[in-house]
Amino acid sequence: MAASEEKQMIVNGKRLDGRGFNDLRPITIKAGVLKKANGSALVEWGRNKVLAGIFGPREVVPRHMTNPKRAIIQARYIMAPFSGQEEHGRSGPNRRSMEISKVSKHVFENVVLTSMFPKTMINIDMEVLQSDGGTRVAAITAASVALADAGIPMKDLVCGVSVGRINGQLVVDLDKTEDNYGESDMPLILSPRTGEVLLHQIDGKLTKEEISQAMDLSFEASKKIRELQVAALKERYESVLAEAENGNDNGGGN
Amino acid sequence: MENEKRMIVVPGEKVFNDQRRVEGGYADAKGTFATTMAMVHDDRLVPLKGYYLPKPGDFVVGIVKEETFNGYEIEMNSPYDGRLSTRETRERFQVGDVISAKVADVNEIHEPIIADPRKLGGGEVLDVESVKVPRIIGRNASMVETIKQHTKSELFVGKNGRVYVKGGNSALAIRAILKICKEAHTGGLTDRVVALLEGRE
Repeated sequence: MAASEEKQMIVNGKRLDGRGFNDLRPITIKAGVLKKANGSALVEWGRNKVLAGIFGPREVVPRHMTNPKRAIIQARYIMAPFSGQEEHGRSGPNRRSMEISKVSKHVFENVVLTSMFPKTMINIDMEVLQSDGGTRVAAITAASVALADAGIPMKDLVCGVSVGRINGQLVVDLDKTEDNYGESDMPLILSPRTGEVLLHQIDGKLTKEEISQAMDLSFEASKKIRELQVAALKERYESVLAEAENGNDNGGGN
Repeated sequence: MENEKRMIVVPGEKVFNDQRRVEGGYADAKGTFATTMAMVHDDRLVPLKGYYLPKPGDFVVGIVKEETFNGYEIEMNSPYDGRLSTRETRERFQVGDVISAKVADVNEIHEPIIADPRKLGGGEVLDVESVKVPRIIGRNASMVETIKQHTKSELFVGKNGRVYVKGGNSALAIRAILKICKEAHTGGLTDRVVALLEGRE
């Protein structure tokens, strides 16, 4: 990771893209973007673009994997070949995508009320269309919105962010350059309602104090991300509600 | 929650300060939280999204999916397929037939057992979310009766969110049903649906 000469990524107290240490990249979230999937969401996070689609609950295939007590979750994270210059070699199913698929599955197994749908399976597919660092966190954030869009019952909407250290400074939401040339990167997925940590991975080294600080920074940043998830989901309903209420006020009668 | 105001909630959002066992809710030490997109109105939690989970006594509209050695598998707009035994019926069905039926029981392996099947023919079938069915039917079936009166269509609304429409101005009936589904979380809907049916909208 670190070359013999450390790459300067903090200039005049700002990061290379002009952000402050705790600033998130611009994020937009849209729910219900795919008509054929049971639920879907598109997240644009900085230069990342991730699409999540949900199918299910439905019959389990292959049959022998059926769990008589709960729904099984199948999560798939994959990078498209055009998602980035380096990604052309890293795309498709590989050990990294299998690992991310597995940890994503663990997140949703702890969040979805699987006991409500025994003997079924829920497919969560996350496709990275464009990658620029922090894709697993963006993918899970998108999948969470997609699950809510599908009407699959969950304990909470989860989201997360990565915190890491570059040039000796803790920063929030590392982009690809910061991840590649920095000293460490720690993605986290949280349940803002309960304060639970559902995914916690780390590349590189951080001290105990730094990890504690990083956790606080993640929780803080997650609040903003959750607001965007909530707005994306409520958008359709609230616009219809506003229209209806205006119509009523203008003499539609009640 | 104020009486008049309708509030849209997302999974994880708090809806009640006390612990209640309600559909679409999840209770823990801190209160009751929504598990799906829902609306809170008049101290009630009304889910806006969800899947149909068969319950004994429900009347449903199903489609024959497969013929098995002792009956039929019925697709019910649900994660679970129903089982219809040949012992329950004299009629013979074919794959693709639309039937109205009753969920007699849900067995210990979560399979809905179907009884009283009746073949439906010559109409159209519309799939909507099962959580919208109470709104489509209305209080004392008032909404569905209004639609039937105005369009003169035969309407059968299955609890599983599958609606069978036949005859009359079926296109208008379907438009009315889709409008109800889209605006189920709003107030004054009855008047707007009547306006649509009378051609005023």
